[in-house]
Amino acid sequence: MCDACGCHAPTHGHNHQHGHDHAHDHDHQHEPRPNGNDSLIVDINRSLFAANDALARSNREHFDTDGIVVLNLISSPGSGKTTLLEHTIDRLGSEIRIGVIEGDIETERDAERIRAKGVPAVQLTTGGACHLDAAMIHRGFHQLQREPGGDQLDLLVIENVGNLVCPATFSLGEHQRIVLVSVPEGPDKPAKYPKAFTSSQVFLITKTDLLPYFDFPIEEATREALSLNPALQVMALSAKTGDGFEAWINYLRSLVKSNQERTARA
Amino acid sequence: MHEISLVQNLLEQLRDLAHQNNAQRILRVKMVIGPLSGVVIDSFTFGFDILTKQEQLFDQATLEISIPKVVFRCVRCGHEMETDGQRPSGCLACSEPILMPEGGDDLILQQVELE
Ligand SMILES: Nc1nc2c(ncn2[C@@H]2O[C@H](COP(=O)(O)OP(=O)(O)OP(=O)(O)O)[C@@H](O)[C@H]2O)c(=O)[nH]1
Ligand SMILES: [Zn+2]
Ligand SMILES: [Zn+2]
Ligand SMILES: [Zn+2]
Repeated sequence: MCDACGCHAPTHGHNHQHGHDHAHDHDHQHEPRPNGNDSLIVDINRSLFAANDALARSNREHFDTDGIVVLNLISSPGSGKTTLLEHTIDRLGSEIRIGVIEGDIETERDAERIRAKGVPAVQLTTGGACHLDAAMIHRGFHQLQREPGGDQLDLLVIENVGNLVCPATFSLGEHQRIVLVSVPEGPDKPAKYPKAFTSSQVFLITKTDLLPYFDFPIEEATREALSLNPALQVMALSAKTGDGFEAWINYLRSLVKSNQERTARA
Repeated sequence: MHEISLVQNLLEQLRDLAHQNNAQRILRVKMVIGPLSGVVIDSFTFGFDILTKQEQLFDQATLEISIPKVVFRCVRCGHEMETDGQRPSGCLACSEPILMPEGGDDLILQQVELE
C-alpha cells in the first residue's frame, strides 16, 4: 500500500536490504542439479518494463479517480515546453485548474517559472537520470496535492526531462503523450527518434515564428511522423506570436470537457 | 542512459532470485532486447559490466543478449517484411509508406543460471 494515500500502488520497490546473511538454516538445499553440475537454471521470461508499467497503471487509477487529465510532454532540451506551459496558463488558467510537475536533472527553475503564474507546481530533480518514471510521478503527484490548490485539478501537465530518447520508454500513467520538436531542431527528428513518435498521441511543432530562418518543411516532418504513427494528431504553434495557439487551447479544452463528462457519468 | 536504471532494476531482481534459491553466485543472465525497445545494447552491457563489478554475487556473471527480429506489416495490403529493426521506407509489394511494427519492443529477462 502507498504511504501517502493508502492506495494499492505496488510500492514495494525491491530496493530493501536483506538483513540476514544466511547463517540460519534455510529448508531448501543445493540439490544435485539436472545439468550435471551444481548450478541451477531458472526460466523467468519477465519484462523489465513490467514494474514501471504496473506503477503507471496505478497512477492512471489515481488520475481517473480524481477526474484529472494528465499530459506527458517530451522533447529535446530547450524546445519550448516551459514557455508553452506559461502561455497556456495565461490563456486557460482562469477557466481550467492546471497543475504542473516539472522534471529536470538539477534545478528548481522551471517550477518557479510556473508558480510565478499562480499555478501549483512541483519540481522533481532526477539527480542525473535522463527521464521520469512512474514511481517519481506517484510521489510527485501526492506532493502536488499538498500544494495550495493542488488537490483540485482538472489538468495535470508533466514536463519530462529534456531528452527525446529515454522518456519514450517509461509510461507515467498519462492519458496523452505529446512530443514537441522546435523549428530550429530540424525536421528529421521523427526518423531519428521513432519511439517518441510511435508512443505519442500528439506531435507539436513549436517556435513556428522561426520558420523564415530555418529549413523546416512542416509537411515533410508531418508526413514522416504519420508514416510512423498514423493516429498522431499534428499541431504547430508559436508561443512568441500566438500563431496556432487556438487549436492547442481547443484541444486541451475538449480533453478536459470529455473527461469531466466521463467522470460525471461514472 | 536510462539503461543504467534498467540494469539496476535487473540486479535487484537477480538479488531476490539468488536469495530465494539460496544461491551464492549468478553465473549467466540471458536477456532478450528488442531493437525497438529504446534500449541501446552497448549502454546496457556497459551498465551491466560496471554495476556487477562491485558485488561478489555477480563477479562471475556473464550477460547473453539475443535480439529478436521485427516484422513490419503494410497497413494497405498486409504484406510482411522481417528486418533487424530498421523500418523499410515503404511496402515492397504496394509501396504504401505506413507500416506497423510487430514485436521487438520489449526488454525481457529470459533465463538465469545460478549456483
Ligand atoms: N522564437 C521563439 N522562441 C521560443 C519560443 N518558445 C520558447 N522559446 C525560447 O526557447 C528557449 C527555451 O525555452 P523553454 O521553454 O525554456 O524550453 P524547455 O523545453 O522548457 O527547456 P528545458 O526544460 O531545458 O528542456 C527560451 O529561450 C525561450 O524563450 C517560441 O515560440 N519562439
Ligand atoms: Zn498513492
Ligand atoms: Zn537515458
Ligand atoms: Zn503493401
